[in-house]
Amino acid sequence: MTHPVVKQLRDFALGAALAILIATIAFVAVRNKELAKSQIDRANAGIEAVVSNRTPLPDVHAVLVGDAKPSPKHPYLRRRNVRESGATPTWRPLVVGGSPDDKLIYDAANRIERLAADHKKTAFAELLPDGSGRAIAARAVSPGKIAIAITPPAHPAPYPLLVFIGLLGLGAALSAAGALVGGRARLAGTFAGIATLAIPCVLWRAPVASTAIVLVAAAFASMQLAQITDRLASGFRAHRAAIGFLAPAAISMFVLVAAPFVIGLVLGFYDHHHGEWTFVGLDNFGEILSGGGRPLDDPLNFWFILGVTVLWTIANVALHVTIGVALALVLSRKWLRGRGIFRMLLILPWAVPNYITALIWKGMFTGEYGAINSLLHEVGLDGVSWFSSWASAFAANVATNTWLGFPFMMVVALGALETIPRELYEAASVDGASAWQRFRHITLPHLRPALGPAVALGSIWTFNMFNVIFLVSGGAPGGSTNILVTDAYRWAFERGERYGMAAAYATIIFLILLLWTVFGTRIVRRKEEA
Amino acid sequence: MSTKLPSARDLAIRQALGWPSSAVAANPSVATSHGEEPRVRATPRETTILVDRLLLLPIIAFILLLGGCERPRGIVLWHAYNDAERAALETTAARWNAEHGDQPIELVAVPYGAFADKITSAIPGGNGPDLFIYPQDRIGDWADSGVIEPIEFWVDDARADRFTHESVESMAYKGSLWGLPMTVKSLALFYRTDLAPAPPRTTDELIALAPAMRARSGYAVAYANVDLYGHAPWLFGHGGKIMDDEGRLAIATPEAANAMRFARELVENGVTPPQAEGPLVATLFNEKKAATVISGPWFIADIAAGVPWKVAELPVITPTGKHATPFLGAEGLLMSARARDKDAAFAVMDALTSDVAAIERAKIARQVVPNPHAYDDADVAKDPVLVAFRAQLEHTIAMPKGPAMRMVWTPYKTALGEVLAGRANASDQLRAVEREVQSYLDGVK
Repeated sequence: MTHPVVKQLRDFALGAALAILIATIAFVAVRNKELAKSQIDRANAGIEAVVSNRTPLPDVHAVLVGDAKPSPKHPYLRRRNVRESGATPTWRPLVVGGSPDDKLIYDAANRIERLAADHKKTAFAELLPDGSGRAIAARAVSPGKIAIAITPPAHPAPYPLLVFIGLLGLGAALSAAGALVGGRARLAGTFAGIATLAIPCVLWRAPVASTAIVLVAAAFASMQLAQITDRLASGFRAHRAAIGFLAPAAISMFVLVAAPFVIGLVLGFYDHHHGEWTFVGLDNFGEILSGGGRPLDDPLNFWFILGVTVLWTIANVALHVTIGVALALVLSRKWLRGRGIFRMLLILPWAVPNYITALIWKGMFTGEYGAINSLLHEVGLDGVSWFSSWASAFAANVATNTWLGFPFMMVVALGALETIPRELYEAASVDGASAWQRFRHITLPHLRPALGPAVALGSIWTFNMFNVIFLVSGGAPGGSTNILVTDAYRWAFERGERYGMAAAYATIIFLILLLWTVFGTRIVRRKEEA
Repeated sequence: MSTKLPSARDLAIRQALGWPSSAVAANPSVATSHGEEPRVRATPRETTILVDRLLLLPIIAFILLLGGCERPRGIVLWHAYNDAERAALETTAARWNAEHGDQPIELVAVPYGAFADKITSAIPGGNGPDLFIYPQDRIGDWADSGVIEPIEFWVDDARADRFTHESVESMAYKGSLWGLPMTVKSLALFYRTDLAPAPPRTTDELIALAPAMRARSGYAVAYANVDLYGHAPWLFGHGGKIMDDEGRLAIATPEAANAMRFARELVENGVTPPQAEGPLVATLFNEKKAATVISGPWFIADIAAGVPWKVAELPVITPTGKHATPFLGAEGLLMSARARDKDAAFAVMDALTSDVAAIERAKIARQVVPNPHAYDDADVAKDPVLVAFRAQLEHTIAMPKGPAMRMVWTPYKTALGEVLAGRANASDQLRAVEREVQSYLDGVK
């Protein structure tokens, strides 16, 4: 039996680790914000000094830049003069090989002119992006004169390691004392010990972090009350090897699946413009669901695209299942010669990377010289301009995706057919059942449990089949064969990098598929039970 | 029933692939321990320690890997060049590296398809290159979002005069210069000397080739006609526009509608195939089904061996008397706003765009370089292809660099498809394009 103080310190260590993580994040955020603010304030103060002709601030490099003189041949090549603030106000040109800050000053002056032209702004102030901690501020002060100030580098305050070590010691003592007293004092000790770490966060004025740490403390105290910590500890000891094996997968799932998913969800509430993100709440979702003010038959209207997507999914899955099951029935016949070869051949479309297949089909559908139209010419028919009308472009997409999709259904159906006991067919034959009756009452019911999940999976794949739509029809004609994912792509990369809109689209697609998976599988299960 | 499913599916896949599904294959331990003394099994306790040690290994490896990932010390340059273009760039870089051992150029080839997105995301995160080569059409976006560095501070008139006026201007945006041009690309007229002994000088001469070609079920000219890039010579040759001088959209103009109708007539009269794209254009030219092709320098690689061909300037458009005017695309050497040593990075830019480097690229990769003095070189002046593209440069229009331009391509292509197929009216379609692009522009405000 482990000593109660050891157990208590174990719980404290876990809670304290969480609390220190939170406190560290708060520290970094608060300190960086404060540093940026103080540096920018300093740069702005430097500008004030230049503008009002006061004594310049020590360390801050503040200057006045004169009007630009463009080269007569190349108007974008401009020469500027600069006047250092200080004792000897003389003008000198900003040139390569001048003061080390000359390039920064020159660019800031030009940027002020761009800002004035674009946004009617006359000033900016920011940290330099080079990580040096220097800040630059610039302001147009009078026609043709721009004041610019650059602060010296600054480093954020060092990590308060000693403070944390001291607090950890104090917290450990508090919680150990609680354990020694025993009873409810143990819980109080845990709470007080962990909550000690909230003190620096309160001092840094980080309310979210302090609340979070107090909540962690409360959570650990109540977990002790319910003896969850003890049970977790013994469970961990018992399954150490299993947890060791699971950890790599769990960590990579978190990094590769969970984290991007959450980031994607959050981005849907922001708007992106020129590298700047602004929180817009539900605006993106509103714009999408209202169709952006476009009529319902406009191919850019969300509901139109949703309709196309649903139709696309139904058409494909129906064809996949029908063709897949039919081929599986043929291939499951024992008397068929060369079954192995046929199976291999029929699985081939699945084995070829689907974008390659899509490009091949795209080539076969093209204009007058594609393989399909050439065949039509051979038999004396007119060629079809596949991507000029909605129906033919949609049909071309469906044909490509059917080619890609049926082998999966075939393999699943083949597997399920193998498991049907032969006796059932024999008994049915003895009872005089026709071939159709045997199929209807024996084969189909046995296929259903295998095909149900396959159809659910296949419909999700098809719903999001970006490659085929993007590469075969490319949305032609007029974007009317786009499905939701390809339209989301266009929002992100062809319509002004509206990543927020694309993320909102992705969220909506996820919700639709979630509903479909929950209710779709329920329908399948009900049928199974019936 | 459903509990048996996984194994059934597994079996089916095995069978479908023709793998054996016997018990031996399913249970390999039976086979391996056969005839041998079974090994002493580790006790659970030992297993745990073993697992702990095994888990340590990847962690140590990871830490070693992190230690190995030092930042390179040279000037990192990303490019999407292949083959000869890459060889030419490597030649120039090798010469630089021999002279500047302390600041070597490190060339990194990045696939073109992912290039722009990688730049957009890597540079603000501090992980991008110092320099990179990319066409000018993204300069507007990248300048506005602070991805690239303005370079006019380092550039004087003498340096700018090294390039043709249009090409260096194509690197300018909002009063600043954002790169130095490496190559210029525009469309020109390729013609088969066996089908068209002399290049057509006007569109009427071009159309006059049609009857003879129709007789052999071919076309007078093939070009990517549903693409705005391919349509541009007619658009600007008719006086049409994408944007006006103040940068506002000016898509729906009567001149642009005339240009679309002109393109439609070419299709209607069988002068050009409907809906042609790159691969088809090349096939038609190689199989003697197209007397001429409107394309750029990249088309040379698609021409089959044994085809007698030459390049000439695009013809004058007979109805307007103006030269067909394609877009001028310039590939520039741009600097990341987060480049570590910007002065050194500019020195590299300067060296890679010098006349000497340009002559190397023209000779090795047959790039159409924007340095007029490169054409004074005897070998370059002898290359009729380079000389023809150089002549076409006089009648080109710099591609707009604002973010709006990239929203125009897809809607314009849609409209061209509709009009060329004879399904829609040119002016209506152009108005729809302008409305659509304007709605995107309003959306990002």
